[in-house]
Amino acid sequence: MSVLGWDVPSLWFAVVLVLVALSWYLAASASRLDRLHHRVDGARGALENQLLRRATAAGELAASGLLDPATSLLLAGAAAEAVAAGEEAGDRRVVAPTLPWPGPESEAEREMAESNLSRSLRAALDDPALVAALRSDPLGASLVSSLDASCHRVELARRFHNDAVSQARRVRGKWVARWARLAGRAGPLSTFEMDDAPPAAIRG
Amino acid sequence: MRVGIVCPYSFDVPGGVQFHVRDLAEHLISEGHEVSVLAPADDETPVPAYVAAAGRAVPVPYNGSVARVTFGPVSATRTRRWLADGSFDVLHIHEPITPSVAILALWAATGPIVATFHTANLRSRAMQAAYPLVRPLLEKLSARIAVSEDARRTVVEHLGGDAVVIPNGVYVDRFAAAAPRPEWQGTAEAPTVGFLGRIDEPRKGLQVLCRALPRLRAAHPGLRVLVAGRGERDDAVEALGEHAGSVQFLGSVSDDDKAALLRSVDVYVAPQTAGESFGIVLVEALSAGARVVASDLGAFRRVLDGGRLGVLFPTGSADALADAVLGVLADPERADAMAAAGQAGVRRYDWPTVAADVMAVYETVVPSSRFGRGRTRVAEDPRTRGLLGRWRA
Repeated sequence: MSVLGWDVPSLWFAVVLVLVALSWYLAASASRLDRLHHRVDGARGALENQLLRRATAAGELAASGLLDPATSLLLAGAAAEAVAAGEEAGDRRVVAPTLPWPGPESEAEREMAESNLSRSLRAALDDPALVAALRSDPLGASLVSSLDASCHRVELARRFHNDAVSQARRVRGKWVARWARLAGRAGPLSTFEMDDAPPAAIRG
Repeated sequence: MRVGIVCPYSFDVPGGVQFHVRDLAEHLISEGHEVSVLAPADDETPVPAYVAAAGRAVPVPYNGSVARVTFGPVSATRTRRWLADGSFDVLHIHEPITPSVAILALWAATGPIVATFHTANLRSRAMQAAYPLVRPLLEKLSARIAVSEDARRTVVEHLGGDAVVIPNGVYVDRFAAAAPRPEWQGTAEAPTVGFLGRIDEPRKGLQVLCRALPRLRAAHPGLRVLVAGRGERDDAVEALGEHAGSVQFLGSVSDDDKAALLRSVDVYVAPQTAGESFGIVLVEALSAGARVVASDLGAFRRVLDGGRLGVLFPTGSADALADAVLGVLADPERADAMAAAGQAGVRRYDWPTVAADVMAVYETVVPSSRFGRGRTRVAEDPRTRGLLGRWRA
């Protein structure tokens, strides 16, 4: 007995083989996407930490009394706005845990606050003579170097985060992920877009 | 009297604080006082003779917008030199809590210091972070002035203590004496409605006026709206649709043209939705004798004396705006009586009155030589020298 020239046991074998291959492919894609989602979450957490460290370093420099009061006021204001925007984003995540990260509106506010901090830092510390004078003071030297380190780490963390997001997005866009809804209820993934250029004069 | 005035914002861009400082300085000079104004500017920037350049103006994000200010060691040094050279009897700092020469001057000076607070919308979180830094500096102020009740409330809530209210000044006679322009004057069939302010800034409220336009035009098909102000007009024109032809955009206008416009139009509409701490534009309109229709913002209500000097409508409501404008056009006698009361009422904002109030504050804080120990002048605080002028003990 044969169908289209195949004998029946071989046909069954072929069907089972295809099903096994398909489910293996689905499981592999799902776990790949899951891994990428975890990587995005981890990268975002790292970025949050670095942003908070940077804002804290800017706030400490503002409060040190080493800068003139106008510069201090500028930095203290920008750092406080950045910290508050980050806290709001964190609060929203606790209130609505099904959303992976806050909605696009508060995200844009967040990116704006962090970019404003970068611009304020550049405006405040664009003077090499001032930075040299700060470095000549023991407290100033430690504040400048911790600010320098945190600015650099923000750049790194943001690069890694956006890289993870674009990879996860690519996998989500594959036909198997869309067809089998592998992303499930996870929200949309977005890169973190901000002006993160550090003040040139503090590069140590 | 030798007066040193500090303006935190650059004169290259127009703004309420800059205009106030300019007019106050010029008025005091005209009364025979010696005045020097310290403001952000390059040495190359052309400035009036009484302005001392404090350093390059840098645009920075501050308090929700971009301010052109100056700070850093160079500006701090220039501020100290200006204080030392000026030997002022009184130092008058505008918007002292601004990351600019204002706070630098407050830091570097000792002696009789007066501050004027202009803003009514201070971001509280930035202020909370900065408060420990600025509190010792605020203690140096001998007197505090707020330009409006709203600005005074901001001072009380965010900084503690109190302030006396002295309003912004206007040269009332310049508006009262301006000649109307025939092309801006309306007729009974084709009345004109005036609007002043940025076109693309929603809080200036042009969109509210545009939404009221179909009803206005239904009652007065020939009605024209004259819009004076900078900004991108494409969105406004698109939103107007078939009514776009009845709106004439005049672009940015000079002070003289602004006065002429206010003198010419049948109704001046101020549909602002927020962000007005004082409402100087209404004072100017009343000075010109305009019939005023304005949104019911706190600052506007106070200028219009609760609706006695002009018609107030619920903020943001296009229907109420249309009702108010149609009411004014239907009963011009009543509107003219209001406008006449307005022209008398704005005398309290006239510069001679306002400057006399400011001078009274100066005289209160400047110790008189009759009480012994000679006069204390404004001087440079020597503790603030050096590139890193340590300012927190």
